Amino acid sequence: MVEPLIVLKGLSKKFGKKIATSGISMSVRRSEIFGFLGANGAGKTTTIRMLCGLTKPTSGTGSIGGLDVWKDRFRIRSRFGYVPQKFSLYADLTVMENLRFFGEAYGVPRGKMNDRLNKVVSDMDLELRERERAGRLSGGYKQLLAIACALIHEPTLLFLDEPTAGLDPSHRQQIWDLLYEFSQQGTTIFVTTHYMDEAERCTDVAFIDRGRLIAKGSTRDLKESLTGHILELQVEPAMTAMFEFRKLEGVYGADLRSGNLRIRVEDPDALLRSWQNHWPFPKLKFLGYSWVEPDMEDVFQAYTQGYYQQRQDQRESVEVGRNL
Amino acid sequence: MISWNAVLAIAYKEFVHVWRDRRVVLLIVVLPPFFTFLFGHAFENSTIRDVPAMYFDADHSKESQEFLDLLKTKGTFDWVPWRGNPDGKIELFPAQVQAAIVIPHGWGQGLTDGDPLAIRAILDGTDTNTAPSVQGELQETLADFQSKRRDNLIDNLPDEIIDLGKQLPIAIRHEFSSMMAPWDVKTETLYNPKLSFIDYVMPGIVGLILQLLTVTLIASTVTREREVGTLSQLLVTPLRQSEIVVGKVLPYLVISMFLIASTIVVGNLHFGVKFAEPLLLSLTCFLFLLFSLGLGLLISVFSRTQTQAIQFSIFFLLPVMLLSGAFAPLNQLPRPVRLCSELFPLTHFCRAFRNVNLHHAHISPITGDLLFLGIGTVVTCVCAAFLLRSVDD
Repeated sequence: MVEPLIVLKGLSKKFGKKIATSGISMSVRRSEIFGFLGANGAGKTTTIRMLCGLTKPTSGTGSIGGLDVWKDRFRIRSRFGYVPQKFSLYADLTVMENLRFFGEAYGVPRGKMNDRLNKVVSDMDLELRERERAGRLSGGYKQLLAIACALIHEPTLLFLDEPTAGLDPSHRQQIWDLLYEFSQQGTTIFVTTHYMDEAERCTDVAFIDRGRLIAKGSTRDLKESLTGHILELQVEPAMTAMFEFRKLEGVYGADLRSGNLRIRVEDPDALLRSWQNHWPFPKLKFLGYSWVEPDMEDVFQAYTQGYYQQRQDQRESVEVGRNL
Repeated sequence: MISWNAVLAIAYKEFVHVWRDRRVVLLIVVLPPFFTFLFGHAFENSTIRDVPAMYFDADHSKESQEFLDLLKTKGTFDWVPWRGNPDGKIELFPAQVQAAIVIPHGWGQGLTDGDPLAIRAILDGTDTNTAPSVQGELQETLADFQSKRRDNLIDNLPDEIIDLGKQLPIAIRHEFSSMMAPWDVKTETLYNPKLSFIDYVMPGIVGLILQLLTVTLIASTVTREREVGTLSQLLVTPLRQSEIVVGKVLPYLVISMFLIASTIVVGNLHFGVKFAEPLLLSLTCFLFLLFSLGLGLLISVFSRTQTQAIQFSIFFLLPVMLLSGAFAPLNQLPRPVRLCSELFPLTHFCRAFRNVNLHHAHISPITGDLLFLGIGTVVTCVCAAFLLRSVDD
């Protein structure tokens, strides 16, 4: 069995009394596109910063390729690239000056520098913007430049912290196409996002909620874990129904989707049976229902809104598929 | 081992940041010579001049007019006449003057009658430097006036009185002659024979301008990167802290050397200040610059925001300006404060610079100051590198 590239064991971080992450244990395989999902403030950035050696873990360990993310941080830095959440390049330097600076900072040999610069400029579609100041680029090109800078030294692992936040759909697509390409070439991608449609594009995902890892697995496995728990109801008026259903015991979420009401229920059969006997909402008109396949949004909502807490009685961890 | 390629990459990047910020370039090019020009003229001459003052001559005698004429020849005061109750309370502030004198009625007569009346002088005590100087100047002018009158008196003595005096014992006559003549001091002034204040104060001007610009310029570098987020990006690269510190200091060192050259050129060409022992002075300036840059970098690493960095710089520079002996001798300070001032690089820079430039000292008398500057550089840079290690923690 191939050794995983990243291994976290009980990784925790506290800022004073505030717990940012608590006991995160998981692993990431080589060449994987690993999606690290969570709401804002869930602990995604803290985790990625611990992995990059920018923040010292309070307890637990993390390793990349067998090297400790804190103790060996100076040794492993040349092996990965990091694209932070916020645009973090030098705005007053041109595209080429930024790339050259990071090339030199990562120790790209002089003889190889021009080849690398040409390669990343061409890969990131930056040829026409080489002489532009980084601060004057559009949001999409800024992000492409950030990725280019992180890739200048040909790392085998790329950390991206919400790389597509605030980008238009075409640039989002462009960035994901690039990530697929790097993955195909053997680069491991560790990407955080709160866009659930992007989670579908990952080979494996993990959910983090209030600093705790609540689920990890392939998108297919995670969705399968919810199959049979998602109902779409035709009820009028839908908006009133959504708020009413959210109060029901055993319902872990209710959202509007294309005019229908999608609910996530622990035991939908029991609920339907009880409604056949008695419809408890005199002001709501029940028109029908259908079973639907869960998407990643459903999975995320279910796990963050309580499904996990019910299920954890049945299993110690919800890590689906591979365990450490 | 430091990679000089990495250091040069950071240094070049830092230089580009400064170069592309036209306002900073303007500041660097214009301010040092302008400040040297301004401060130089401000401290060129330490004597007090044109103190606004008013007089009231209630005597209207020949003597009072002669005394006032003598006073007006001195540049210390800018006299205006005044009328009021010479015996009542005299307010200076409403009249916008710092001194007033009243020559009482009968003053001139009193001088000849052997019963001299006192001239009334009213001084503004808020400015503790000016008041004693003004008082001294008044006393001195009165003494001049008195000695002039005494000379006149002796010159016009009738022969009988002279003959009478010759009958006194010789020892008493000699002592009497000695008492009548002013007792003299034969002064020989070394190192700054013209007592040119600008020569004394020039290291203070140069040091203060350099300290001000170097500390504030470099204090923003790390905090700016922290605010913009590039610091994290920098710290995930394999760059060592020492490379970052040296790379950041290097361009500012070059810029500061340009600054020092521009202030020295103005000092030499405009104020005629001579600079001796160029090698020793250069070494003193170099170590002082390094220490100042190290301090600025330490402030920058310690601060969380650029605003904080500027605030820390100002809080640091304020006591430096007042207590480092840049513009006034350290001997004026009480001993405990003087000990505190020994912690400032500017104190050691000014002392070493003056010792070399005015006392023509060689290296041994300034070794202590140079060592302090050198050790300070190492300590601040190492601390800055150490603090750079942890961004969040």
